[in-house]
Amino acid sequence: MKIFFYKAILIFILFIAAFHFTFGYAIKKAKIELRDTISKEKIEELKSKVREEMLSASKKENYINPEDAKIINKFFKKVISDLEKNK
Amino acid sequence: MKLNFYKQKNSIFLIFFYFLAFYLASVNVFDFGVHIEEKFHRLNGHYWLNYVAECFGFENLQRITQIKIDAIGDYTLSSISRYNKYGVIFDLPAAYLEIVLGLDDISKIYYLKHILSFSIFLISSFYFYNILEKRYNNFYISFLGLVLFITTPRIFGDSFLYKDVLFLSIFTISLYYFLKILDRFSLNNLFFFSLFCAFAINLRIFAIFLPLFFLIIIFMKTLEDKNSKKIYTQILFFFISLILFTYLFWPYLWENPITSFFNLFKSLKTDLINVKILYFNDYVYNTLLPDTYLINWFVISNPIPQVLFFFFGYLFYARRFIKRFLHIKTDSIYPDLWRSKNEMKDFIIFFIFSSFFFIFLFFNAPYYNGWRLVYFYNFFIIYFGLNILSILLVILRKKKFLKSFVVSIIFFQIFYNVVIVYKSHPYQSIYFSDVLSEKFREGFEGDYYGLSAKHFFKYLAKLDTKEKIIVAVASHTPLQRGLEGFSEELKNKFKIVGQEYHLADYIFKNNISEIDPRLNKKYEIPKNFSMIYTYKVNKTKIYEIYKSNK
Repeated sequence: MKIFFYKAILIFILFIAAFHFTFGYAIKKAKIELRDTISKEKIEELKSKVREEMLSASKKENYINPEDAKIINKFFKKVISDLEKNK
Repeated sequence: MKLNFYKQKNSIFLIFFYFLAFYLASVNVFDFGVHIEEKFHRLNGHYWLNYVAECFGFENLQRITQIKIDAIGDYTLSSISRYNKYGVIFDLPAAYLEIVLGLDDISKIYYLKHILSFSIFLISSFYFYNILEKRYNNFYISFLGLVLFITTPRIFGDSFLYKDVLFLSIFTISLYYFLKILDRFSLNNLFFFSLFCAFAINLRIFAIFLPLFFLIIIFMKTLEDKNSKKIYTQILFFFISLILFTYLFWPYLWENPITSFFNLFKSLKTDLINVKILYFNDYVYNTLLPDTYLINWFVISNPIPQVLFFFFGYLFYARRFIKRFLHIKTDSIYPDLWRSKNEMKDFIIFFIFSSFFFIFLFFNAPYYNGWRLVYFYNFFIIYFGLNILSILLVILRKKKFLKSFVVSIIFFQIFYNVVIVYKSHPYQSIYFSDVLSEKFREGFEGDYYGLSAKHFFKYLAKLDTKEKIIVAVASHTPLQRGLEGFSEELKNKFKIVGQEYHLADYIFKNNISEIDPRLNKKYEIPKNFSMIYTYKVNKTKIYEIYKSNK
């Protein structure tokens, strides 16, 4: 009985340890990645990067390539005319 | 009656030691600043005292406590009814004592609590000494354990702050009765064990494992024992008294015991601190810490010989345990994991320590600011250190040179601890191993309790004679609370404006932050401020002062 009890406890502990160092470890790593990606700090960092980019863009003489500007212009005009048609 | 001169001499020596320790503590207690959680604990004490007074119809007491509660609360504290699950075993009697002694001076109230906390720690150290005395039957080893128990720098520093070391104290007394029961299974010992277990549970809910471990050990001891029926009746007495004491000493459970008790576990998910902490110069989530967090902190914040003795002691016992486990046979003359009463004690200590360590590891315990949440491990650290020391002394009894070498290391360790406790006073709780460079230390959290606020305000008051000094705080430390222990005159001299740096004359900065400052600029010092002062203790940076250039 005693030896059975000791072995049962040992197997239980080994099982938990194996779980912790395999799946548990992987889950923890995934949680850290996820938190790092969607954390408030990360979003704030992203927002400040967008702000910086906009600021530097506004200082440049030509931010958009003239060819791209033409395409975007055409695209917006098309979108506006479609919206007007289907009011 | 025959007097044992040897024991008499030791007792006189111990009395002298305790008298000296208490005297030195009571003289130096005033150097400790007000720590950031004192306000909460005072409020907690009065809140529950008010509740008790209401339950028993003590109208006068209820009125006084209500006045105190209204006076304590401020914008830095959350509503006490939300955070009312903290134990009251220290806070409530302290609140009552404050009223009985008619203390109105806040600093006197806090110093009384500090000295009470240290006294409990000293009492528990005597229990620790007794555990060692029974285990080794050697005054020198037991006394050495006692001195190391008290002078471990971080433990000594925290012993005044009635937080984690208070739990260590109650835990040590509980373990004393745990081991005493195994020496003598009596109702008296069971009664005291249940009482101190209830106190421990009151302070830290994870102490609930202690009675569980006790049950497992008793089960292991009585397996295949035909006379175990009587023991189990007594165990039943233990559990009934444990439940009664837990209920009795925790007013939080009085109204709705079962639901309130289960709510404690629910609150572990919602109320526990969930922040980013500085660790190896990086900011990591305290709820998703690496497995090595505790071991690393333990190594860097303890004196090296103490760390080495513990590791060797623990590994030595682990090796012995595995050997015993592999050789256990039912028909052997040693059908157990131990071969003597002393070895059984070692096994119990090993079992409890390893269980706590791995349970916390597997459940991702959210530590912060080092290993403070598990300062009760100090019991095991000293115990295993002494274990290997006693074995070494036996092995080396014929090798005089080596034996003297080991003894001199021990003497050096005691001397070192005493010097550190003296040199880093009152910042012993921020101790880092001396081999670490200044830069390396800056990669870890420092003055979490904001003890340095006292030094900061005093220094600034001397530096700037202006009528009103506006201070911003580039840290998670609620600096405002550090002002509590000062006179009204000094309090009125300062205005704390949080992170509104544009209003400030000075900025207080330490390395306590709940966010990653590289991503969040909340604690970034504005360019129009320059650093004018750095306060360091024993090579560890405590805080910095920045002054506005305007």
